[in-house]
Amino acid sequence: VDNLQQLLNQIRKHLVLVLVLENAILLAGIWVGSTYFSIPLAYLIAASACLAAILITVITIVTAQYVIEPTRALWQAIVHLNPYEQGVAAPDIEKLRVGRNLVASLTAQIYQLATNAEHVDIVADKQASNTRAEFIMNNLPLPLLVLDKEQNIVFSNEAASSYLGREKADIQNKNVYSVLDMSFPSDDTFDSWLNTSQVNSATSSRLWERVRLNVTDNQPTRLFDLAGYYNKDNSTGNETMMVLFDHTSQYSQDDQAVSFIALSVHELRTPLTVLRGYIEAFEEEFEGKLSPELQDFMYKMQATAQQLAAFVNNILNVARVDEDQLVLSLNEASWNEVVEAAVATMSLRAQVRGITLETNLADNLPTVGVDRVSIHEVINNLIDNAIKYTGKSTKIIVTTTLNKEGMVETTVTDHGVGIPENIMGNLFTKFYRDHRNRAQIGGTGLGLYLSKSIITAHGGNIWVRSKVGEGSTFGFTLLPFTELAAERKNSDNTEIVRGAHGWIKNHSLYRR
Amino acid sequence: MDQNDTNSGAGKKVLCIEDEHFISELYVRSLSKAGYSVDVELDGSEGLKKAQTNQYDIILLDLMIPTLTGIEVLRALRDPEQTPELKAKVIITTNLEQREDVRADIEKQADGYLVKAEITPRELVDILAAIQ
Repeated sequence: VDNLQQLLNQIRKHLVLVLVLENAILLAGIWVGSTYFSIPLAYLIAASACLAAILITVITIVTAQYVIEPTRALWQAIVHLNPYEQGVAAPDIEKLRVGRNLVASLTAQIYQLATNAEHVDIVADKQASNTRAEFIMNNLPLPLLVLDKEQNIVFSNEAASSYLGREKADIQNKNVYSVLDMSFPSDDTFDSWLNTSQVNSATSSRLWERVRLNVTDNQPTRLFDLAGYYNKDNSTGNETMMVLFDHTSQYSQDDQAVSFIALSVHELRTPLTVLRGYIEAFEEEFEGKLSPELQDFMYKMQATAQQLAAFVNNILNVARVDEDQLVLSLNEASWNEVVEAAVATMSLRAQVRGITLETNLADNLPTVGVDRVSIHEVINNLIDNAIKYTGKSTKIIVTTTLNKEGMVETTVTDHGVGIPENIMGNLFTKFYRDHRNRAQIGGTGLGLYLSKSIITAHGGNIWVRSKVGEGSTFGFTLLPFTELAAERKNSDNTEIVRGAHGWIKNHSLYRR
Repeated sequence: MDQNDTNSGAGKKVLCIEDEHFISELYVRSLSKAGYSVDVELDGSEGLKKAQTNQYDIILLDLMIPTLTGIEVLRALRDPEQTPELKAKVIITTNLEQREDVRADIEKQADGYLVKAEITPRELVDILAAIQ
């Protein structure tokens, strides 16, 4: 109001000044005209009237410029704030000749209003997004827990309450481990991850599978996958987020129900165990008392039972490869010893078919990293194949060498029927067999497929060289142990675990 | 010369918890020839009771057995409250294939894991002689 009054006074002062000046000019003109030029008064008054009209017009135009300046400045300020108008600068209040204070005060208020409006918008936005976040977190159909840096639960949602069977008050502000008593399938646990993250990471996330929630007697066990997200030094105090994905029914079924293949394998193995046991008992009881023919029958029974046991293992391992579950424990081994042991177990099977197994082993081999049981199966499968396809030839040769690339190479050579060139590329495919021989020679086409999977998982290659009528050589390479050792996770773990497709597994005949 | 004549098991006691009669018969035959004295139990809870008498050097434990499973027996044997200071070595003898993490868990608690179809009774005797 003061500023407005000030403006009015300013304008009034200007107008009074202008009028006084104008009247002074007119009176001066009349006086000069009558005194010095003796112009009749009537003329002078008429001329003055004309001049007055002109002056008033000019003065009005000039004054209007001044009077309109504050309005222009205010307009400029408003338009300047309009987000849809570009290129209008803020008014320069210092240059104003009239009403500077009023304009300054009004523009200040306009800017203040604009800031308030913006703030109101932001607050409205924030409230909306807070409401949304709260809605999402509370109604997320997955149990969600948020921890602070002391690993206490600062937030839990409805799903967490119902999943854990506890009221919110019974969850929040408690230590996470007092609320969730979890077991993990390996040493890689949530608390080890969180402790490491708190020391080493700015942000980190992790997923665990098959986590077990240990519960009191009257509650059912829970099995779930757990996702963790860690964000250090968060100003909100929310440092770690845990989301639980329940898989209780699926996982407990997996745990209880043995897969169809595992069950079949069990049912095949039990009679096989019995057969092999009684054959051995017979052999022992009749040792030295049997005719050569009966002794030969005995060996053939033994060899065939062995072959069946090996085949059952092939079925199982092919299923594992297909389910991504074949995982090998690679241990340092003297390769020639492994080969000799494998050849020894095959010698009976060769012998009963009138075939001799010869070995030609290099003595300069470095140690290799192998899963003994699996690699045994590879050698057995290659020798088994050679026995099947060796035709009239009576010799199979197993050699080991150190090849030019520094890899340990093993070959199994027969002088049998050989393999036509056009089918060699398919040999390592599942269920593939040589068409021409299918009628005469049994086999499932699993052995080479499995062998390739096992050798690949060892970091080696498998190959074949063959000529029809001259025989075949199957060979594979293995890495020296020193090269594999680089994979070792830590120095006290002498075992390297590797999957055909990346699973952690044990795979051995027996272990202590 | 086979191991059965070496008397590697002289004076040692074996408990064989196995419900397949043919298999236990074969194991009893071979182990006895090697000098072991062998008791056989057909089901889990009876086997566990016998095992807890703590008179055995070796326990051969099948996994698929009635009443208590082999895994339950193994857990009870490794629980100090139920079985204080078991002196026997516990060897799992099974034809069952486990999911590998289950198997790893079993192997952690057992002193050995044998697939029965992979070994003959004579080979079992050799293995037992080797692990003592």
